[in-house]
Amino acid sequence: MKRLAWLVPVALAAWLLPYGLGGYSIHVIDVAIIFAILAIGLGLTMGVAGQINLAQVAFFGVGAYTVAILTTQAGLGFWTAAVLAVVAAVVFGILVGIPALRMQSHYLGIVTLGLALAFTNWVTNSTIAGRAEGISDIPVPPMFGIDLSSGYLFYYVELLVFVVSLAFALFVTRSPLGRRLRAMRDDDLAAGALGAEIPLLRMTAFVLSGLYGGVAGVLYAGLIRFVAPESFNIANMFLLLAMVIIGGRASIVGCVIGAIGLAMVREALLDASGYAQLGYGLVVVLVVVFAPKGLAGLPEQLRLLLRRRGSGSRAQLGPFLPYDSAPAAAEGDALDVRNVTKRFKGLIALDTVSLTVPTGQIRGIVGPNGSGKTTLFNVISGFYTATQGSVLLGGHDVTGEAPYRLSQRGVARTFQNLRLFEDLSVRENILVGLDRTRTAWIWRYPILPWKVLGYERRLRARAEELIERFGLADVAGAEPRSLPYGIQRRIELARAMAMSPTLLLLDEPAAGLNGEEVRQLGEIVRSIRDSGVTVVIIEHNMGLVMSLCEQVTVLSGGKVIADGPPAEVAVHPDVVAAYLGDSMTAPTEAAAEAAIEEATR
Amino acid sequence: MQVFLQTLIGGITFGAVYALVAMGFSIVYRTMGLVNFAHGSVVMIGAYAASTFYLATQLPFAVAIVVAIVVTGLIGLVIERFLRPLENKDFTLMLIGTIGFGAVLEAGAVLVWGATGHAVPSPVATAPIDLAGVRIPTYSLMVIAIAAAATGLLALFLQRTKRGAAMQAVAMDHQAATAVGIHVGRSNALAFAIGAGLAALAGSLIGPMLYVNPTMGGTLGIKGFAAAMLGGFGSMPGAIVGGLAFGLLDSFAAGNFQEYSELVTFLVFALVVMIRPTGIFGEATVNRA
Repeated sequence: MKRLAWLVPVALAAWLLPYGLGGYSIHVIDVAIIFAILAIGLGLTMGVAGQINLAQVAFFGVGAYTVAILTTQAGLGFWTAAVLAVVAAVVFGILVGIPALRMQSHYLGIVTLGLALAFTNWVTNSTIAGRAEGISDIPVPPMFGIDLSSGYLFYYVELLVFVVSLAFALFVTRSPLGRRLRAMRDDDLAAGALGAEIPLLRMTAFVLSGLYGGVAGVLYAGLIRFVAPESFNIANMFLLLAMVIIGGRASIVGCVIGAIGLAMVREALLDASGYAQLGYGLVVVLVVVFAPKGLAGLPEQLRLLLRRRGSGSRAQLGPFLPYDSAPAAAEGDALDVRNVTKRFKGLIALDTVSLTVPTGQIRGIVGPNGSGKTTLFNVISGFYTATQGSVLLGGHDVTGEAPYRLSQRGVARTFQNLRLFEDLSVRENILVGLDRTRTAWIWRYPILPWKVLGYERRLRARAEELIERFGLADVAGAEPRSLPYGIQRRIELARAMAMSPTLLLLDEPAAGLNGEEVRQLGEIVRSIRDSGVTVVIIEHNMGLVMSLCEQVTVLSGGKVIADGPPAEVAVHPDVVAAYLGDSMTAPTEAAAEAAIEEATR
Repeated sequence: MQVFLQTLIGGITFGAVYALVAMGFSIVYRTMGLVNFAHGSVVMIGAYAASTFYLATQLPFAVAIVVAIVVTGLIGLVIERFLRPLENKDFTLMLIGTIGFGAVLEAGAVLVWGATGHAVPSPVATAPIDLAGVRIPTYSLMVIAIAAAATGLLALFLQRTKRGAAMQAVAMDHQAATAVGIHVGRSNALAFAIGAGLAALAGSLIGPMLYVNPTMGGTLGIKGFAAAMLGGFGSMPGAIVGGLAFGLLDSFAAGNFQEYSELVTFLVFALVVMIRPTGIFGEATVNRA
């Protein structure tokens, strides 16, 4: 509670603010608060969830116009209309968000911008929306006899809504949902592999965007009591964007500061609006180039600048604490790939590949570059759909299931080129893996927030345990990109294990590791297997494969050319031919054994 | 039928201009992976430069176009220098940075030329050609011819000249291009200048067809961008086909839905790209994101 003590003076100042202001100033503040709520919505979609949404101003418009139309033409009361308006804005948000299921980044930007233009076009021409003149005479919102036509009293209504909006946004960003949204922003493929339902999460982002847009629209209608198309045009969208960027898009508080600050500046420069517009543009360009995280990121940028002068200590990996061994839960085959073929246009990457991995085995998959190993992993983990054939997990046919679904079924994987969430700390990376809830769970956020907080506390406790186990205590608070490569590999492994998988797919886990790190990796993988997890490992480091795997499958040109114990496979003539060319003579059994011996030493 | 043909002519004329805008987007996008949201504003500056020069000096329109191309080409070089730190980086930042630049250009135009804008008389004063009841304005023919010529020249440049080939190489792999001795920065600057030049050409041509005003860049830019997407981002043939397709969509929407044309155009556009996000020709460059 002590940490929140600073809130008291802030609240007091907010409460007393109107007493010191004139009628016009309070109006300016009222408008600024509306922009702040809008900016929170945009920050959530764009900064936190990474969805380029240039239609926020249209959501705002839908909210305001729905209130205007329903009160003046359908004769509804203000608050009934307000509820319907928020619903309308959310529905509109979902509609605008649908394209996000198919496209991202600049594509999404242009489509949402186009839809925002479509909205402006409609309200400018439709009779029901009052055409270019807009709709005036929106009734004053009734409030138990309090006269809300006064800007002073309306301020308190806004303040209340604003505080609730801000608190909810902060709660969402700091909860498991917000972490998943940020993970999706940084790397949607990896987030999917960790069990985040990407389509639903993207829609969630747009629902939030519509919600905040709608709420702001209702307040706008209640405050100004007049709506016209120019309040919701592209120029205002740009202003809003400038607020969010200057404040810092990934930080909700930053968005609020940006919004209120820019709204004030705009008011101060009203007489020189031409130059002001020029100024916003320049500031946005400068912020993007020199301070990509906006005002909210400045303190950290300064700290980094200062720390560069001082001496930094090198991060160290701690020792790995082995898992308790437990027998594999079930007998039978953990993974069964049956005649899988994967074709990319003309190229056949996998050609009727079959392999069966019994529960509790460490299976190696080797083969020259381009032989289809990673494609096989991508098919098993759901990134690709097999052209033909089927994949069975513990006897269930899972062919063609989405990555998040497979992740929930217990498939975890790592990636050849590390896919850590760059802007999340190591601890948060692991927390994303630990969170096993379905996205449908999110109804709890508005209804039972304390349950969410309890869940988060339990997740955090388990994260500490895992961080300790993988020896990451020193680096838990750091961002992955600042860490050495070997540590990043360890983090990815820990993140995969956070999912408590039954099947672990490791794609070249030893690439870029030094000898000692490879030895530790071998130990870790053995311990993971002993805890009851089946492991499939793609690796070029033959020493590791030979010493670690009980069985090795060799792929070449998309086909399985050998399958058996490492010693047998290593001398198989086809394997030797695939690796060395057929002009070489096959090594003898003795040579292979010597190689194994050397590797295991 | 007559109405159909008339709409078709109008669609192709605007389509030719959208194609020029889209080509400008595409050449910048493929060479430096920069999504330039300021492009529409550059078109607007081009329109202003050409029309102001034309109205002030009474010299032939062709001279005005050349002047506009030079002016925007220079502006293009400045923008490129400014945005260089963003090239091949975070898409979102780039997008926002260029939107910011667009706002700067727009505000600059308001300061220089005022907020109201001006009409530009058609530079070709002859009567429209009457072809079986369909009236084809001579200016339309001129626009289409100039756009086609510019496209041809650009294709020649990209395929037949050493600089053009270097630009293509940078588009495919800027690191490999550096390794074989191509000055990537200079090549990018040239690409940006060409893109800006195309924007100026589009702007000067569309001036007499529309009302030249500071906010025209927003709509034109979005439409050109949408055209590029429809054709396949980064693909030059895609830009041409997408431009024409968007022009036709626009003009038939205007013919059938009058004031709601923009609504219909963007709804149809959203639907089409939902079905085929990579456009007709697909994305020509590898996914840089």
